[in-house]
Amino acid sequence: MDLKPYANYLRAASAMIAGVGIGLFATILSLNAGYGFNSLRAGPWTAWPHIGGADIDPYARAVISRSGEAPLGRDQGLAFIARADSNGAPLSAECEYRIIDPLPAARFWTIALANPHGRLLANPTERYGYSSVDVLRSEGGAFEIDVAREARPGNWLSPGEAKDFVVMLRLYDTPLDIESAPDPNSFPKIVKLGCA
Amino acid sequence: MRLNIPDRYLDLLPWLFATLLVAGIVHIVSVLLMPTLAPNDALARLASYVKSAAPAEGLVMLPQMAPGAETLPFEDPAFAEAVCVYDLAKGPLRVKTSVDGEDFLGLSFHGVAGRIYHSMTDRSAIKGKIDIVVGDARQIDALTSADEGDAPPPQEVRLTAPAKRGFILIRSLAKRPSDQERARSRLSAISCQRFDLPQG
Repeated sequence: MDLKPYANYLRAASAMIAGVGIGLFATILSLNAGYGFNSLRAGPWTAWPHIGGADIDPYARAVISRSGEAPLGRDQGLAFIARADSNGAPLSAECEYRIIDPLPAARFWTIALANPHGRLLANPTERYGYSSVDVLRSEGGAFEIDVAREARPGNWLSPGEAKDFVVMLRLYDTPLDIESAPDPNSFPKIVKLGCA
Repeated sequence: MRLNIPDRYLDLLPWLFATLLVAGIVHIVSVLLMPTLAPNDALARLASYVKSAAPAEGLVMLPQMAPGAETLPFEDPAFAEAVCVYDLAKGPLRVKTSVDGEDFLGLSFHGVAGRIYHSMTDRSAIKGKIDIVVGDARQIDALTSADEGDAPPPQEVRLTAPAKRGFILIRSLAKRPSDQERARSRLSAISCQRFDLPQG
């Protein structure tokens, strides 16, 4: 069969199919990369302040409609997520970490573990996070939170049997300026203590 | 002879552009359509929970967060939460409570497709009271024109919702795990009720 007269149709069809494929692939890639533009980074922590306001960009809207979350309003506070430790290595439940203050100014803060899809991690302690009120502090107000599967004295969070986890840092009623880059030294460090 | 090969590629160049153009359009359209097409966004999740709850109107408490029992992902486990899912086609809505100024209470007003059109905490309460009216543009206009006259100015905050449907998520902080009960009781003191527009 002679396909030559149809060559342009074939080319058009393959351009269409390839275009749809590449376009959808680009959408999947961009939606998995975070909540759109204008992120706020400080050390291992990242926040997207604009997802809590009316000027949210289309990428962020697509991401949160797909995940089904209801983000924190911009006038309520900021939610930071850490997927890696302070050295940039991805967090793994095989390893043990220590989260060390300081924290930026806020009326309240909480530090909690979650899985990468934002679900709580089942663990025997039934504790999922600490707040600025119930965290144990040393004299002078400093604190450390250990993340480990085995029990620790002091502030201890367990990722349970999960493989991956993220750390959420939420600052409520914070005066943090979202228009300029925050100082990483005013944010907690996530130090890897060792791996199993 | 050496030019023949680049020529063949040059012939394909317009098709390459066409491919990229189609890819660009598909990408943009799919991102823009995602909020409308996503079947399980926060509004859908909350609406289906509220439907199964006992009083399916007004303020509905969300169950205490536990692994596998979260109504929404990425919520703070230190909070007790309640939601008021609304449809303004039935009338405007009033959210009312008083605050003690000590414990954190956050209200966020969500329209369709992931847009927050207003958010506040107990810090922005006026004289210890939160009194917010949510309506569409027509309802808020009707309320404003009903004000005119010698009546004292209303103390309430009026919000124009961008869409008929939406929800108000109220988060009450339990500073310690043992404060959950207290946080929940502060939530149950909040009213979220539909009311009728003044006639006239």
